[in-house]
Amino acid sequence: MNESLISPFNFSHPTAVQTSLYALGSFARFDPSGRFIGVGRFDGLATIWDLETKAAVRWLDGHVKAVTSLDWSRHSQYVLTSSKDWNVIVWDLASVYDPPQRHATIRCDAPVSSASFHPRNSQIILALLSTGEVYLIDLRKNHRSRTELYEPDGDEDGTEGQSSRRYAMTVARFDTSGKYVFIGTSGGYILVFNARTKAMIARHRIAGGAGTIKGLDFAKNGRRLVTNSSDRTLRQFIVPHYPRSPETGVEIFLDQELEPTHRFNDPINKTAWHAVSYSPDGEWLAGGAADAANHKIYIWDISNDGQFASTLDGGREPLAHLHWHPSKASIASTTNQGNILIWHSPNAERWGAFAGGFEEVDENVEYEEREDEFDIEDEAEIIRRKKEAEQDDVDIDTIDGANAPVYPAVNGFHVSGGNGAPPSGNVGESLDEDMKWADEDANDDIGVWKMKILMDDDDL
Amino acid sequence: MDQSIPEIDDHEMQDGTRTNSAAATQNAASPIPSATPPKPDQKLCFSPKYILSGHTKPVASLKFSPDGSTLASCGADKLIKLWDANTGEILRTLEGHEEGISDIAWSFDGEFLASVSDDKTVRIWDFGLGTQVRCLLGHTSFVFCVNYNPNSNLLVSGGFDETVRVWDVGRGKTLKVLPAHSDPVTSVAFNHDGTLIVSCAMDGLIRIWDTDSGQCLKTLVDDDNPICSHVKFSPNSRFVLVSTQDSTIRLWNYHTSRCVKTYVGHTNRTYCIPACFSSTKDKYIVSGSEDHKVYVWNLQTCQLMQVLEGHRDTILTIDTHPTKDIIASAAMEKDLTIRLWFGEMTQPIE
Repeated sequence: MNESLISPFNFSHPTAVQTSLYALGSFARFDPSGRFIGVGRFDGLATIWDLETKAAVRWLDGHVKAVTSLDWSRHSQYVLTSSKDWNVIVWDLASVYDPPQRHATIRCDAPVSSASFHPRNSQIILALLSTGEVYLIDLRKNHRSRTELYEPDGDEDGTEGQSSRRYAMTVARFDTSGKYVFIGTSGGYILVFNARTKAMIARHRIAGGAGTIKGLDFAKNGRRLVTNSSDRTLRQFIVPHYPRSPETGVEIFLDQELEPTHRFNDPINKTAWHAVSYSPDGEWLAGGAADAANHKIYIWDISNDGQFASTLDGGREPLAHLHWHPSKASIASTTNQGNILIWHSPNAERWGAFAGGFEEVDENVEYEEREDEFDIEDEAEIIRRKKEAEQDDVDIDTIDGANAPVYPAVNGFHVSGGNGAPPSGNVGESLDEDMKWADEDANDDIGVWKMKILMDDDDL
Repeated sequence: MDQSIPEIDDHEMQDGTRTNSAAATQNAASPIPSATPPKPDQKLCFSPKYILSGHTKPVASLKFSPDGSTLASCGADKLIKLWDANTGEILRTLEGHEEGISDIAWSFDGEFLASVSDDKTVRIWDFGLGTQVRCLLGHTSFVFCVNYNPNSNLLVSGGFDETVRVWDVGRGKTLKVLPAHSDPVTSVAFNHDGTLIVSCAMDGLIRIWDTDSGQCLKTLVDDDNPICSHVKFSPNSRFVLVSTQDSTIRLWNYHTSRCVKTYVGHTNRTYCIPACFSSTKDKYIVSGSEDHKVYVWNLQTCQLMQVLEGHRDTILTIDTHPTKDIIASAAMEKDLTIRLWFGEMTQPIE
């Protein structure tokens, strides 16, 4: 709401640190609304911070070893944490208890490296184990299952056993629509699975080889993908379209080499990257440098052919993680000391705003007096004119931009619908089936909850 | 009818009974309940339903709870009283302030109430427990106005120290002090998503602030610079409704700095009397007046819909119910009562 008064033209990248949160975190992630930030800590605690008050508001105490990842449900009501203690916990922030109730606990067979919610249904969870295996866990009554996503044997002769080509899986993410799961491996491959059928539908080798894939991020529109790999290079790819067989409606297996559209690296220091994140409009890319002595964030301008735009210097504490705000020119970067730096793009104070009817101009403008500017007008005439100007009806209820929720793009198609109805139309029948599957038995994360305000008793 | 007049004094009884029987006859004359679809020539008409007495000094502010079940009142007698909005029964009285209370506000869930007083404090009360949970210190003079943001994690208050303060409710600390005005701040409020704050003051200026940065984004000023006594955002935050002490209420489009509607007819030259939007499908504006009446205007035509008579002193405060056509009003020393006016669709009386 305040954007219209600030300046509509200056969405850019952040430039300065606004606040530093002393959070003892190893990473921090914004929630989809941008009001909260979730912090994972080495001691097994996860904390939720309110960015409006810059204060920790919830302490999620459930893990006994380091928290490795944190994810938010679509409407921020549920938080998922994964830990080295082999557990994944789902927390319900709408619960009135403090500390919040656990909504679900999932015990895995090894330390969990990362876990995330399905973008459309927080009952479906993707978990990557430190053993290099990926599981898709479905908590819904009718689908309750735990399925390993694995690369089938290359040979078609049906022999059981491990393929010699099988590499450890090192990163696993849903795409923005939730239709596919993208998995990076230690062999520099990207494997794509259908989330519903759990079948592998594509295997991409990165052209030229890239080493272990360490990170993956999608632009919000779902059409672009950036990888971080052990060869110290960030690569951006156009997400391919996965064609379906017209008879069966199943994706045709695609074994395709992917050619990056851009490569980003540090030509001088050859630093590796700890984290990578797109801006919400996909026009900027932020890379967190794995510099042992400095806190540096590199920003590239994607809309300007991936040109390097600037470096943000966050001081002496080396960077461990970063995440771009879901809607603003803001970044949260975590130092290895556990502090969270919130970067923003400050607006210059406009002193003209303090004076009614004044307008600031950038340079001198010759003022031309109107012919009748200082004429004394008939009062009745002024009143009549004022009345006339007040003839039009006013709309005091319709909220700008608060229309039907827009779903993330489905592999290039942008779909929207109201009231959570599954989108339909221009996309294929079987795609709807995937969406139907995902939307089935969705839980109560529908965006009507509000976090109860807790009063500390410290000063009473 | 007895239960409709709680805590009543003898001399109040007469008046209360009279008014209520008048209401009863009016109800009998129009037996159509508002649930039936109104005929096109019917119009909304308010009649007094309950008279609540209990305050011993002027009532400064009235606020319906977000679900509409409870009405909170506060006043110069240093008390906050909570009333059942449907029956008019008194539920609870909260004591604690050391001086008169100027304003109150509900949190979004109706669990907390914030009050501000001439004792320079902002206090937060737990509605369920009926106890004070927090006392915020910081203002250096009388605090005059207060409001929660939609998430209710922030409070904003303004007062005679000419500042606007933004508070962290959870920790009870000042987050920001805006040197907002050069005269006492008379009203301050958040917009519907909490990103903007609007304030107005006796210096006649209306200022809009960015909540996050605390920067001033806009200043509105009327030609004659009358004292501004109350301001609030429209439900969609596109406009601000401003009451000024030249007996005028204006609806401003703050983007274009233009006044889009003007409501006149009432008298307001001395006190800070608020104006409210209706939140039902009938769109109207309500304000109190120094001629002891409550004025109701059509939002679009700016024509008077009804003038509610009954109070015997200046109407210092009013509020509209969040879901129903109900108006609450309260008057000063010679009256000291709170009245609840219920709207019904009726045939216009020729």
